[in-house]
Amino acid sequence: MDIFAVLQSKPVLIGFHLGFAIVGIDAFLWLLGQFKDNGGSRKSRIMTAAIGVAAFVASWTTGGYYYVIYYGTLVKPVIKSGFAPWAHNIIMETKEHIFLFVIPLAMTVLCITLLEKDDMERLALRRLAMWLSGTVAALGLLIGAMGFIISAAARWG
Amino acid sequence: MNKPRLIFASALAAITTIVFVVVITVWAELSSPLKDWLKNFSGHHWTSKSIFSALWYVVATAVLYFVYRGQSENHVRAALVSLLICTVLGTMILTTFYTGHHFNIY
Repeated sequence: MDIFAVLQSKPVLIGFHLGFAIVGIDAFLWLLGQFKDNGGSRKSRIMTAAIGVAAFVASWTTGGYYYVIYYGTLVKPVIKSGFAPWAHNIIMETKEHIFLFVIPLAMTVLCITLLEKDDMERLALRRLAMWLSGTVAALGLLIGAMGFIISAAARWG
Repeated sequence: MNKPRLIFASALAAITTIVFVVVITVWAELSSPLKDWLKNFSGHHWTSKSIFSALWYVVATAVLYFVYRGQSENHVRAALVSLLICTVLGTMILTTFYTGHHFNIY
């Protein structure tokens, strides 16, 4: 089995999808703390936001690949024929679409981190930056919880 | 680079992306021809929505940055507040829509 076959296997894809999402959530929670304390240099805020955006993009592509290649043929039929078809019809359908909100939101936070601290205070954006960073992290956590429900429905019917 | 203008453009582009995702998702669920077209475009309706939403955000940010030059500090803050509200509303609308769809309310 070559490396590409390993990378395209189901457990590895799900692991990357979840792992990258955790990195993204942690990055935006860290950024929330930086905004709250007005701490960290401009460069460190940009780096934190950029790592978060990159992690969410990686989570999006690995999860998307798994969803398109495997989920529809292997997992969806199991859930739909089990005791919790709502786990696909409501949770998965909502999850896959609200994920598309995350990158534009995270990119907007990345744009805010480009400001110098003085400019952020002058424009009175620090509180809003905290709210946006928190919303990105909360959306990531919500999507993670939805993923748990979907996995549980597939595992236990 | 004018950073407040970039933030303003990105926030408005993100709002329009969320609106785009919500509208095309609901529309495609209610219209088989649209869902089939999305499937045929890339092989999967979700992949097509992903491609279009990413392109929409990038193009809208660039266009708004170069076109809209009259933003004030209040406009930037208003755009970011609107983005927060749209994110919550978009999440609620999609959840409500799929819940209603599951229970055959429409």
